[in-house]
Amino acid sequence: MSLITYLDAICEAQAHALRDDPRVFIYGQDVGAFGGAFKATKNLAREFPGRVIDSPISEDAMVGLAVGAAIEGMRPIIEMQFADFSTVGFNQIVNQAASLFWRTNVSCPITVRLPFGGTSGGGPFHSQSLETIYAHYPGLIVLTPATVEDAYSMLIEAVAIDDPVIFCEHKFLYRHLKVEKLPSEALPIGKARIAREGRDLTIVAYSAMVQDALEAAGELATEGWEVEVVDLRSVKPLDTDTVMASVSRTGKLLAVGEAFPWGGVTAEVIARVTSEGFELLDAPPQRLNAKDTPIPYHPNLWAAHRPTVRSIGAAARKILRH
Amino acid sequence: MPFIPIIMPQLGESIAEARIVSFLIPPGGPVEADQDLIEVETDKATMTVASPCKGRVEKFTAQLNESYAVGASLGQIEATQEEVVRLGLDVCIQQKSSETEQLSKSGINSGKSRVQPTIRGLPVPANAAGASYLSPRLKARMDELGLHAADLAGVAGSGAAGRVTVEDFEKYITSLEKHKMSGASTMRVAVADAMRRSWTRPLATVGLPVQLDVVLAHRKASDPKPGPALYALRALAIALSENSAVAGRLVGNKIIHPSSIDVGFAVEAEDGVLVPVIRNADKRSLKDMTQRYNELVDLARQRKLPPDATGGSIATVTNFGTFGLIWATPIPLPEQTLVLGMGAGRRVPFWDEAKGQFVPVMEAYLTLSFDHRVLDGGAAGRLLQRIGELMKQPEQL
Repeated sequence: MSLITYLDAICEAQAHALRDDPRVFIYGQDVGAFGGAFKATKNLAREFPGRVIDSPISEDAMVGLAVGAAIEGMRPIIEMQFADFSTVGFNQIVNQAASLFWRTNVSCPITVRLPFGGTSGGGPFHSQSLETIYAHYPGLIVLTPATVEDAYSMLIEAVAIDDPVIFCEHKFLYRHLKVEKLPSEALPIGKARIAREGRDLTIVAYSAMVQDALEAAGELATEGWEVEVVDLRSVKPLDTDTVMASVSRTGKLLAVGEAFPWGGVTAEVIARVTSEGFELLDAPPQRLNAKDTPIPYHPNLWAAHRPTVRSIGAAARKILRH
Repeated sequence: MPFIPIIMPQLGESIAEARIVSFLIPPGGPVEADQDLIEVETDKATMTVASPCKGRVEKFTAQLNESYAVGASLGQIEATQEEVVRLGLDVCIQQKSSETEQLSKSGINSGKSRVQPTIRGLPVPANAAGASYLSPRLKARMDELGLHAADLAGVAGSGAAGRVTVEDFEKYITSLEKHKMSGASTMRVAVADAMRRSWTRPLATVGLPVQLDVVLAHRKASDPKPGPALYALRALAIALSENSAVAGRLVGNKIIHPSSIDVGFAVEAEDGVLVPVIRNADKRSLKDMTQRYNELVDLARQRKLPPDATGGSIATVTNFGTFGLIWATPIPLPEQTLVLGMGAGRRVPFWDEAKGQFVPVMEAYLTLSFDHRVLDGGAAGRLLQRIGELMKQPEQL
């Protein structure tokens, strides 16, 4: 039996949604016969004729159409070719979709899939992490699965949710994560997961950074440190309780994110812990993000730009020795 | 070859900066590790900055007669790679940082460097050792158990700069469980709290022997008989009425003067000490206050002091001589600057110049403990001398 990748899981979850609910359709550039830029909709057009539809090259029009269809009772899934291009449809997402229910009492159950995050050589237009920008807007739900299982179950749930969902799927994980079978049950959305237990330090991460944090935790274990890794799963809603409970065990916090450092998810995590859990802290909480520059093309520069197993380990040691 | 910065060291606990007096080795000259390099002057003394390693003085960036903060870079030593490895140093600054040159040319830096953190990693205050720096979590945990930093005096910290981490704390608390424990009385806890607060100040003690023969003769002839400490109390009150500033409290940059000469005296009660107060002790004669004094001693021992007889005093007298002690360094109450102590009287030989021989005299030591922020040894000594003089003429008290 062949293994199931993170990408397969996303394809399977969409098939599941199309099968389960006649209101679901997929709309995006080359999602039809071509099967999507990353093949996340491979064979779906054949299996579900007329429900996996190619769009024009206009992210603005794609999201606009989806919002209209949602108002009429449909549950569209929009595929962006790269998260970076979703900024062309930004107005439709943050001004229209996010606020629709609050303005009109009409739900907007759309799911916008953002293939995001860095891969070697991706450069400034094909590597960015935008979860942090979308999380800023009230009305949006922003999901960042770190495992094959979560990619599958969270996408199914995303389509079922009545609010607009930004589904951030990490391009590096697409083919790097594999499992034997897809799950039949999952944690509810909005609940973080303890990916590794430890008592010396809490690393809060999401999406691909969870995998890097786990690897760093493995290295630190050989040095005698027991590091707990919290996988946020969903950055909005943010499961402050699980983070706080973990920090209450460890007293130390490192928040890791692949997005740019200014503001964002890691800043939010630290702000919440310091304001609500100041007395849990035995060391100044730290955060680790990409560098505050556009993302470089060159693989060496890119490796220096984003948080890595090594830089996570170094930041963790600094806190552990405090 | 790597370059090692010459850093202004922490020259003393309160020293924030020092002025460059002279360079002891010329630029280009060879130096050994720990050899004196630069003479610097602080408010308190002249000291030297030693070379961090063996090598050659590359240059001094500091200017003569300029002051530099602790942690500031004063120049560079060119050292061999082996020397750097031997020292375990990993900070090698390049010979010419164009940015620094640019800044100094444009005059933005004008020779004043920013204080560099002295501890690698996350910031902790330089004096964090032990429980002098508490993380929010440690502080919360201590509050939960009703503990103070002084309770952790015996804990060696394992954290950055020797701070006590939560883990150190929990281990310590667990280790206590092996011992027999008994509850401290309310009085004990109150005294502990007062002493702890008082000990946040720099306290010093001076002592002076006084002859008690005249005092004892006066006492014998009096009715009712004043206690020996009362003579000292009255003498202190008179001395303070002549200059009350020495009993003032220092708050920020102000001396807070006492508004009246109310003097307390220590009375041992069960498991603690009480301090009844004689109001306006400068305006009442010894004879006047004797009965009140005796009353207050009794009330204190029964722990029935009226509210108007406690608190608000500006200094305290303690007769530790009642325990047979001849010398002690009592600690003033936290809201007071002075505590006058009186030792046990002893018959000692005294060289009588007129008779040309030793004569037996009754002698006791007076001690004065004081907040060194408010007065110095000289002022404390003069106050004590004045008290000694006044006690030579008990009939005037």
